[in-house]
Amino acid sequence: MSEISAQVGSAIRSLTQEFDLIAHNLANVSTPGFKRRYNDFSKSLSALEQTAGPAENSRKPANIAVDFTQGSFIETGRTLDMALCGKGFFVIETPQGPLYTRNGAFRLNENGQIVDMIGRIVAGESGPITVPQAAGLSQINVAADGTVSAAGVPIGKFKLVDFLDKENRLTPAGLNCFAAPQNMDSEPAVGLVVKQGFQESSNVQLTEELVDMIMVSRLYEANMKLISKSGETAKNLLDVAMS
Amino acid sequence: MLRAFSTAATGMSAQQMMVDVTANNLANINTTGFKRSQIDFQDLLYSKLRDFGAEVSSGIKTPGGMEIGSGVRAGSTVKVFSGGELVNTSRPLDIAIAGDGFLQVRMPDGSLRYTRDGALQINADGELVTAMGYSIEPSVSIPSNAVSIDIGKDGSVNVLDDSGAQSVVGTLQLARFVNPSGLSSEGDNLLAETEASGTPITGTAGENGFGMIQSGFLEKSNVQMVTELVNLITAQRAYEVNSRAIKAGDEMLKNAIQIAGY
Repeated sequence: MSEISAQVGSAIRSLTQEFDLIAHNLANVSTPGFKRRYNDFSKSLSALEQTAGPAENSRKPANIAVDFTQGSFIETGRTLDMALCGKGFFVIETPQGPLYTRNGAFRLNENGQIVDMIGRIVAGESGPITVPQAAGLSQINVAADGTVSAAGVPIGKFKLVDFLDKENRLTPAGLNCFAAPQNMDSEPAVGLVVKQGFQESSNVQLTEELVDMIMVSRLYEANMKLISKSGETAKNLLDVAMS
Repeated sequence: MLRAFSTAATGMSAQQMMVDVTANNLANINTTGFKRSQIDFQDLLYSKLRDFGAEVSSGIKTPGGMEIGSGVRAGSTVKVFSGGELVNTSRPLDIAIAGDGFLQVRMPDGSLRYTRDGALQINADGELVTAMGYSIEPSVSIPSNAVSIDIGKDGSVNVLDDSGAQSVVGTLQLARFVNPSGLSSEGDNLLAETEASGTPITGTAGENGFGMIQSGFLEKSNVQMVTELVNLITAQRAYEVNSRAIKAGDEMLKNAIQIAGY
């Protein structure tokens, strides 16, 4: 009896987490450069079904991973919207060290430096990229390799990095950014194309998330039924014993 | 309580803001010199349930971790300063700026505002004013004996008087900002300087990166109806799907409560 409730309890905990995850993905369906999170919970659930072993097995923690597949491109026509096509990241300078993002909805600050949505400096290969006062916003041109020119004069190049196959060790830092663990170095990105006037849309697929959501709520329901049934069995047993 | 409730709620409020922004863009689809706003979202912070590389059992470290995000927020809105369509009105006092730059407008309290709406008029004192009656800076006076007015590409205001003599009575000056998206909207097609926009740089039309002045034209709003409608549908559906998440979460809790009531 206790084994059932332990297993069901663990399943319910995981399902609740999975549900939170889906809600977070759905909330970010319009966040440019957002990468959906998924967990290998489904896998651990099937493991749970197979192993009728001690409850510890079923409580094996699931991992949450980031799905780095490319989102689609949305044309915005804004000079400072950049989308990345291929593997890699822009680098954002923060007092706590560099952060990495694929959200290229940039701005200029009052000094003419290219900054992200909340005003953090976007790293260039040689320091911040500053647009000279003499050049207008419409004269900023970004080449596919990330070279920024104002009125035809190159003024800098976006620092573009890649983590090759270690991408999955990046941790989400919120505000569209990822942080790298301390001992992980980035490599210069190869074959990454910057598209000016575009945003990379979130790679959350509504249908997929909705299907997952239905599955999670049904599984939850089933687990709840299980608790209810096991309670009923116990009651029947007690009734028999008492009569 | 399910974290998902508040997460989905952030999604709904962000999408609602997107609808608000889109509605304002659509409402101004015929406003002269209007620049569309774009809203950009950001994901919120993540709560770490288990660190990356944590030890799960002796000597075994997880390759991944467990972090659950808490939703989305509207990062900021930004004005998109792409040019609007220039429409021929044949009215000599209608001007459009083909390129970068704003007309400077002097408010009654002496402060300056900036606009791309070039539907100019002449007030009772013969001064060039905006459609709302605010005077253009530097001020240009049209003599009372003027027969026709012509505004050149560089902003010079030429007047032909009743004696047939032509004279330049003033020149329109343009202002530019290093970060025009940082200007704050003041209504009446006017924008104001802020900390974020930087200080204005003034100059003559057609020089140093300033756009040329096109007389007889007005710049239409740069709102594209199709884009806005697509945004509206996207926002509406995203809103709907977030509300579904709340509903599904509610049913899950209902299930749990039913068990407790058993």
